[in-house]
Amino acid sequence: MHRVVITGMGAVSALGLGAAPLWRAMVEGRSGIRPLVSPDPEAVLRMQVGAQLPAFDPAQHFDDARLSLLDPISQFALVAAREAIAQSGIDFSTGDLGDRTATVIGTGVGGEASRDHQSRRLYRDNAKRIHPLSILRLMPNAPASHITIEHGLRGPAFGVTSACASSNHAITQAVAMLRTGLADAALAGGTDASFSLSGIRGWEAMRVVAPDTCRPFCKQRRGLVLGEGAGMLVLETLAHAQARGAVILAELAGTGMSADAVNIVAPSADGAARAIRAALQDAQLRPEQIGYINAHGTATIAADASETRAIHMAFGEHAKRLAVSGTKAIHGHALGASGTLEIVAAVGALREGVIPPTANFLDPDPACDLDYVPNTAREQRVDAVLSNSFAFGGLNAVLALRRFDG
Amino acid sequence: MTATVQDQIFEIIEEYAQIDAASIRLDSTIRDLGIASLDTIEILFDIEEHFDITLPELDPEFETDNVQRLIAIVTQAVDSNAQSSVATKH
Repeated sequence: MHRVVITGMGAVSALGLGAAPLWRAMVEGRSGIRPLVSPDPEAVLRMQVGAQLPAFDPAQHFDDARLSLLDPISQFALVAAREAIAQSGIDFSTGDLGDRTATVIGTGVGGEASRDHQSRRLYRDNAKRIHPLSILRLMPNAPASHITIEHGLRGPAFGVTSACASSNHAITQAVAMLRTGLADAALAGGTDASFSLSGIRGWEAMRVVAPDTCRPFCKQRRGLVLGEGAGMLVLETLAHAQARGAVILAELAGTGMSADAVNIVAPSADGAARAIRAALQDAQLRPEQIGYINAHGTATIAADASETRAIHMAFGEHAKRLAVSGTKAIHGHALGASGTLEIVAAVGALREGVIPPTANFLDPDPACDLDYVPNTAREQRVDAVLSNSFAFGGLNAVLALRRFDG
Repeated sequence: MTATVQDQIFEIIEEYAQIDAASIRLDSTIRDLGIASLDTIEILFDIEEHFDITLPELDPEFETDNVQRLIAIVTQAVDSNAQSSVATKH
C-alpha cells in the first residue's frame, strides 16, 4: 500500500480566494460571516447572515463562451483546483501522469443556482423551455468533469455526494485509489454554492439556521450559518511526490467512514465514534497521538453535543487533553466544500504548530465539555490531527493527517 | 418577411458563434460555419425564444442542413403561429 501525501491546497470561501487568506482568518478568529446578500431583494427572509463569497467576478477567471457552461459550483472548483495545482508544482503533461491522475470532487447539492434559475423561468415566468445547457451546468459531476478537461486529467474521475461530508468522502476515494495503485496523483475536494432562494428557503424550513452567527460548541449556539465555496487538494503517493522533489504539506495518513443507519437528520454519537476509530486504526495512530481535531462543529444544538459525545467515546481519557475547534465560525457551513476548507486548518496546525480557535465562543455548555480553544489561537506542536465530517443522512467521514518531516 | 427572419437568425448566429453575419451564406451549414454542437443548441434555443416558436426535434438535421433550410423552417413556424393566434381570436 502506498503512503499518500498532500502537495497542494486551494480554497475559495467567504474569506476570499486562496488557502492562505482562509488560514490567516482561522488563526485570527476573523469570521467571514456577514449580513446576507439576498438573491431576491423582494423576498422576506428569515436567514439574516451567511458566509458568502466577497465580490467574486467570474469574468476574471473564465471567458464568456466557457462561462455559459459553468454553474458557480464548477467556477469555484476550477479556481480552487488551479491554486492547488500551482502550489504543488505538478505538471500533468509529464510522461503518462495525465492518465495516472484521478479526479474526485464532492458536492452536497450540485448546481443549485442553475436549477433555481431555470425553475423560476419554468414555473414563475411560464417559459416554454429551459436553457439547453441547464443539465450540463447542474449535474453533480460537472465540477469533476471541468477539472479533468482544463488540466488533461484522464484517469478515474467522478463526483461524490454525501451532503456535508462530500469533501471527506471524495478525498477518501482518492486516497483509496492512490494507495492501491489505481493512480499516482489525484485532484480531490468539494464544492457547493447554495445561496439561491430555494436553497435559503430549504435551510430556513429546517429551522437549523442561526439568526446571529455561528458559535460552535458554546452555550449560546443557535444553529448553522450557510456558507459557499470550494476546497481542492493535490494528493500524490509519497513515492511520486518525492521522485519529483515536491514540497509535502502533510501526510494523509488514514480515513474512516461509517453510516449512523439510524435517522435521516438526528446525529448518532455512535456512528461518528465508529468513523473516528476507523480513521485512527487506518492511520495506525493511537488516540493519544492526536493533538488536534478540526471538528464538524456546525453549531446546531444537537450536533455539537453529539460530536462531543463521539469524541469521548473514541478517545476515552485522552478526550479532555485534545484541542478541538470548529472553524465553521469562520467560513460557515459550505456543505460539500467544508471538509476540504477544514483541511486547511488541519494542515496549518501541523505545519505551523498553531491551533486555530473556535471563534464567536461565549460561554461553555455542560453538554460540550472539551477544550474548544475558545476565540484565541494556541501555539502548540501537534504531530497528528483529525478532521471530522458528519453529514445529514448520518454519513460520516473522518480524515487523519500526520505531520511530514521528510 | 423572409429577409427579416433571415437577418434576425443571422444576428443570433453572429452573437453565439462569434461569426460575422456577412460571412454567412445561405448554402452554409452550421457545421461549415465551424459552430460547435453546444453552440448549435444554444442558437436553436435563442431562435425559439426570439420567435416564440418550437422547432422540430430532428427535422431538419440542423447541423448538416443549410442556413436557407433553417430560415424556411423558422418562417413556416412563425407563419403557423400567426395563423393559430388569428384562429383563436374567432
